[in-house]
Amino acid sequence: MRTGAALDVVELAAGIVLAGAVVALWRKDLRALISVLSLQGAALATVAAVLAVHDGDAGLGVVAGVVLLAKGLVIPGLLARVVRADPGSRETAPLVNVPASLVTAAVLVVVSYLVAGHLTALFPDPLTRLAPLGLATVLVGFFVLVTRRKAVSQIVGLLLVDNGVALVAFLLTAGVPLLVELGASLDVLLVVIVLQVLATSMRARFGHIDLDQLRELHD
Amino acid sequence: MSSAAYLVGLGLAGTAALLGAVLPARRRLLGAAVMSSAACLAALVGAGDVLASGHAFSLYTAQVLPLTGVDLSLDPLGAMFVVITAVVGLAASCYSVGYGTHQTPSRTATAMLPAFLATLLLVPAAASLATFMVAWELMALTSLLALLTEHRQRPETRDAAQWYAVMTHIGAAAILLGLVLLATHAGGQSFAVITAHRRELSVPLASVVFLLTLFGFASKAGAVPLHVWLPRAHPEAPSPVSALMSGAMVNLGIYGILRVGEDLLGGGELWWWLVVAALGVVSAVFGALHAAASTDTKRLLAYSTVDNLGLVLIGVGAAGALAVVGEQALAGLVLLAALFHLANHGLFKGCLFLGAGAVQHAAGTRDLDRLGGIARKMPATAVLFGVGALSISALPGLNGFASEWLLLEGLLHGFASHSALTEAALLAGVATLAITGGLTATAFVKALGVGFLGQPRSKGAGDAREVGPSMLAGMGLLAGGCVVLGIVPGVVLPALDRATTAGLADGAPRAVLPGLGLALASVRGAIDPALLVVGLLVGLVVIWGALRLVPRSADLRSPRRAAAWGCGREVQTARMEITATSFAEPLQRVFADVLRPDHDLEVTHAAESRYFPEAISFHQRVDDAIERVVYRPVMASVTWWGHLARRVPNGSVHRYLAFGFAALVLVLVVLA
Repeated sequence: MRTGAALDVVELAAGIVLAGAVVALWRKDLRALISVLSLQGAALATVAAVLAVHDGDAGLGVVAGVVLLAKGLVIPGLLARVVRADPGSRETAPLVNVPASLVTAAVLVVVSYLVAGHLTALFPDPLTRLAPLGLATVLVGFFVLVTRRKAVSQIVGLLLVDNGVALVAFLLTAGVPLLVELGASLDVLLVVIVLQVLATSMRARFGHIDLDQLRELHD
Repeated sequence: MSSAAYLVGLGLAGTAALLGAVLPARRRLLGAAVMSSAACLAALVGAGDVLASGHAFSLYTAQVLPLTGVDLSLDPLGAMFVVITAVVGLAASCYSVGYGTHQTPSRTATAMLPAFLATLLLVPAAASLATFMVAWELMALTSLLALLTEHRQRPETRDAAQWYAVMTHIGAAAILLGLVLLATHAGGQSFAVITAHRRELSVPLASVVFLLTLFGFASKAGAVPLHVWLPRAHPEAPSPVSALMSGAMVNLGIYGILRVGEDLLGGGELWWWLVVAALGVVSAVFGALHAAASTDTKRLLAYSTVDNLGLVLIGVGAAGALAVVGEQALAGLVLLAALFHLANHGLFKGCLFLGAGAVQHAAGTRDLDRLGGIARKMPATAVLFGVGALSISALPGLNGFASEWLLLEGLLHGFASHSALTEAALLAGVATLAITGGLTATAFVKALGVGFLGQPRSKGAGDAREVGPSMLAGMGLLAGGCVVLGIVPGVVLPALDRATTAGLADGAPRAVLPGLGLALASVRGAIDPALLVVGLLVGLVVIWGALRLVPRSADLRSPRRAAAWGCGREVQTARMEITATSFAEPLQRVFADVLRPDHDLEVTHAAESRYFPEAISFHQRVDDAIERVVYRPVMASVTWWGHLARRVPNGSVHRYLAFGFAALVLVLVVLA
């Protein structure tokens, strides 16, 4: 059913989402991470928009707009403000170094293909075959969350997980209802705002946003 | 009629608990005690009717417990346990009026005693898995709270409560597992359904069920090596609660073994009952030894409970084994003896615990080494405690003698059973009865002689005053029961006969002939304790008269007065008298391998010369060898794992996230 150019575009956009997650593991510059997020948001919006046009679903079209606005512009913009307050900040010493992280990411992609086999078997279709990409994005995002020290990197990890979930939702279902997507996007927006406030006040109080050093408060 | 009286009893006990919780402080004790006494009387009427007529009653309501409903049924076996509980409960309720007066009783304390009593009355009537487990767990909970009531005065109570809670819950878990396994394979959770399908169970399954439930019930009955909670919980509980725990609650362990082994599983295999008898032999000897070595009155009584329940377990095991090899008549006789001993144990141990509580109440200590001379200060308590002590030592004319005689007769006649294994078990039982008889007498000579006679060894003992009439009434009721059952045991034997018949899977012919004395129906053997008592009294009068007639020497005509047990010395101080520790010392030496006493000798030298000691202090402690060998290593390893586990959450956000991530990936890989 869904074939031709539309499918090619969706495949490309889904690939960009996963590639963005892997790039987020690779780059240490926080500004680069934010551009990655912005790119991912645009790719997600593209997926939604193509599906909306193909299925003639107006609701899905609105969702695409909301995704572009929230994930492509507003959230990266907010994060950029946090980073701008502390120029030149980098993810200096991740808990797992970059080469090892990339190898792990490869393993996670394999795992997600293994797992998603059960999902695609339920309804074999060119779109559902892309679901492992979303799942892999979720796992890589989680991995970023676990191994990166800076508060901003952690937010990026969380957003990667969210983007992965959104991608799987677009690919596997016949389109996410407008209300659900709106709710999820606003939720994430709120989380980002809270984290931004938290990161700003952390820096004001301790002079850094390194989560590991917070353990000294615990002791 | 019987069911109505029984239900009224339950309701009154519940009301008593409620009154204990809501009445103002001054009326609380009296209100709860009067209500729970009435509850005991009503339950006594209901259960007594079942025992006298032999007709069981059944009740069912779908209301209280969702999904399963409440299933109650009281057959003569259960009724016997209700009667024992009601009698001990009546005494404990009377006693509690006087016991709590020295301070404002807390709501929990006054509410928990009747609540505990209500659950004790409920358990023997439960007739389905759900009802039984709910009643059993309620009993564990209420007894735990009742045990904890004095935790503000004595911090050790908390430690005792922890031991008790752990042991009782491990036991309850095992029982639940066993009964659920049984119910799944028997096709229903009602005991009547299980009984109807008991022949269809496979032997391995039935054996697993029996062993699981035996574990739980044996821990409740205080069988070695699951007895560790008794010597902790009994001393720390308030005395009415100790009396109920030791006189009524431990009995339900025996009830459970009989109900599951005989009724629900239909008698089963020979080796089941040999295991029960072996548990009994070990418990009886171990308990009696520790009772003889203890210097704490209530700890002594707790170990003596282990000993007596061991004897009952020997009887139950022997009866089960004899029933399996087809000797129904002998099995009935032995089980009758065991149940009779259980009832007697409730009477005399309840009396002894209440007596020990009265002494503790008056003298402020239960350490025998710090008591002494109590008989002169508290004559009535001393007499009642004495009756209990003589009963438990099985002296003729008291109930302990009657039941131990029956048990011995039953075991000896069992040698005709033509089963080598059973005969070996019976032989071990007879030997155990002999050795524990001696050790128990030693323990109670010590408790009476050192605690009640001689001179006071502490200020508290010297200032002791007789306790009030309500406490004496509670003890007097149980002591009176000991005397009556000792002289005319025949009055309760027909009722016990019905309980025995209900307690064996295939029933049993009558074991005793009607009459006031003890006359065996199936085998030769009879004794009339009343005649024995008359004979003893006549003998005493004759000896007394003969001594009067003999011409006295000059010394006897002008006797010199000195303290009793004072060895005739002019100046006799408490420091010169024998203490409980020194009384038990020879036994401790003989059985050093089992008791393993810890000695601690500290000598402080004078500053000038090492040849002149300034002070010498000697401490001795007899720990429970089983606790040290079995429980301490287990607890140490649990603690070690606990410390190890504490290193896992170290406060790092990344570590917690990593746990979640690892779990997620693991689940996905497992699913893939």
